[in-house]
Amino acid sequence: MNVPVKMAPLAEPAAGARVPRWRPAGRAAQLRVLTARQIRLVYADRRVVLFSVAQPVVMLLLISQVFGSLADRSILPRGVSYIEFLLPALLVTTGLGTSQSAGVGLVRDMEGGMVRRFRVLPLSLPLVLVARSIADLTRSGMQLLVLVIGGHLLFGYRAGGGVGGLVAALSLSTVVIWSLIWIFIALAAWLRKVEVLSSIGFFVNFPLMFASSAFVPVDVLPGWLAAVATVNPVSYAVEASRSLALGGQVGSEVPAALCAALGLMAVMMVLAARGFRRPPDE
Amino acid sequence: MASDQVIHATGLRKRFGTVQALDGVDLTVARGEIMGLLGHNGAGKTTLVNILSTLTPPTSGTASVTGFDVVGRPDEVRRRIGVTGQFAALDEQLSGYDNLVLVARLCGASKAQAVGRADELLEAFGLRAAAGRRAVSYSGGMRRRLDLALGLVGCPDVLFLDEPSVGLDLPSRLGLWEMVQGLAREGTAVLLTTQYLEEADRLADRITVLGEGRVLVSGTAVQLKAQTGSGSISLRVGPQGDRAVAAEALRRAGFPPGVEGEPSELTVPAGDSADLAVVIRVLDAVGQNVSEIRYAEPSLDDVYLAFTATAPDTPAPAPGAIGRPAAPAPARTAHRSTTPEAERRSGDTPETP
Repeated sequence: MNVPVKMAPLAEPAAGARVPRWRPAGRAAQLRVLTARQIRLVYADRRVVLFSVAQPVVMLLLISQVFGSLADRSILPRGVSYIEFLLPALLVTTGLGTSQSAGVGLVRDMEGGMVRRFRVLPLSLPLVLVARSIADLTRSGMQLLVLVIGGHLLFGYRAGGGVGGLVAALSLSTVVIWSLIWIFIALAAWLRKVEVLSSIGFFVNFPLMFASSAFVPVDVLPGWLAAVATVNPVSYAVEASRSLALGGQVGSEVPAALCAALGLMAVMMVLAARGFRRPPDE
Repeated sequence: MASDQVIHATGLRKRFGTVQALDGVDLTVARGEIMGLLGHNGAGKTTLVNILSTLTPPTSGTASVTGFDVVGRPDEVRRRIGVTGQFAALDEQLSGYDNLVLVARLCGASKAQAVGRADELLEAFGLRAAAGRRAVSYSGGMRRRLDLALGLVGCPDVLFLDEPSVGLDLPSRLGLWEMVQGLAREGTAVLLTTQYLEEADRLADRITVLGEGRVLVSGTAVQLKAQTGSGSISLRVGPQGDRAVAAEALRRAGFPPGVEGEPSELTVPAGDSADLAVVIRVLDAVGQNVSEIRYAEPSLDDVYLAFTATAPDTPAPAPGAIGRPAAPAPARTAHRSTTPEAERRSGDTPETP
């Protein structure tokens, strides 16, 4: 029910009159406030959080059983089980699902009113996107931990590279996932429609996920697919994560994966900021 | 430019693809002034507000708000403006209190300052009781109040209100009007867009009528009303009377009746309310009694129709000037009975989709 608005206090100097104008918040302070808001949005619905965190474990269970039963041990690196081969790859590919939901979340946020208000506040607009990416990254972090714990409990997974190797693989995957999140933040900032984003998301995600070395070694793929998989940035990341987790010789995979991820992230950040800056009506 | 002019726009043009949304608009608004921006859908009101509030750049022309160019210094402009749009720009998942604290923090307030400001505004806008509830549960009126409060967090020098009354019931609307007037008294300049003529009439110190992206006319409500000429007298002939006789007598006396819908009703142009007595005497002389009679000031409705009805075909008067409508407006009564636009507006609260 609407009641007539009480007017009295506004007529007095207390509420409406000039108060000393605040100095605009610094970028760090803005980012803190914005990130706290985005984290609230990402974790607003416990059910969504629960299912999204459980999702990678389901992937691990299904893919290990479906492909694992087919995979000829001889195509895997010597002495490596399929779980040992697969789990470090899932650390990376899990991020593809997360990144799509980050994009959808951003579109939903842009449809809501607060982002419209952000545009007329003395605010560095791209920080809204950075905040979104950080909030989604925290959820990815939880997914990765649940995946490793689930792998251990279900399949007795242990990283050949020990705890150090596992932590290194997790850290690298986190950086890679951050860059994948930015792909979808850029898409969301330009497309601004959940339906369009979801349908395009399929075309971005599935090739990145399957035309890679994530589930089988590249050399057993058909020639053309192997060629695609070799240039796929997800392959770099998967190779790097795998070699860190397996332990032993770590070659150029890690710097290559980091360079690919950071380069991708830089490009996507610029595109995203540009797309986001566009006024809603153009 | 006078120092108390806080909005100063010259030759603003904006093109979206093939649509010329604004076609050379000049506008000035002074400190403490309420400027009403009147026009139908697509007249360019929202585009003008979007340009002045730094949301979208003009295709050409310049605009400054509180002395800062909206394109060159948007951050300085944003520190000094408040915006309340057609759609509530707030976070539905947050409580009213959290919305206010969030915006205050982003405006640079410390935690304590933000809490203090939120408390002040919740009190002033009658939202104290609902402060802790998520905004998604608020009624339309409460949302609009929260939205306005959010626009005022930074104590703006200039407040943009884009169709603030859409979807509000009467008490909420009256409350909003009082609030806007209070802010203007404190020195805030207000640019208010509206399709409600009553709202512009009640609130605005000056009114600018936009049509087809141009300023059709600009001035005070009194000046605009003067442009549309006389008021009118509506009367109802008594049960024993004959309308045809009454109409003929009035015509001979210099009060030609307009086209009528209702059988016993007549409407004639009148200079002022003194003509009431004249009309009654004329009818009395021919033996017609009057069961109902009323004098009506020329309304903004008439102004609006007079200036916008001719907009597509005729060149606009010089922007900012009080100009005659280029073609005489058709009889008011004809408008009332024939145009759906007028029909729609005669309802109390047209709902804009």
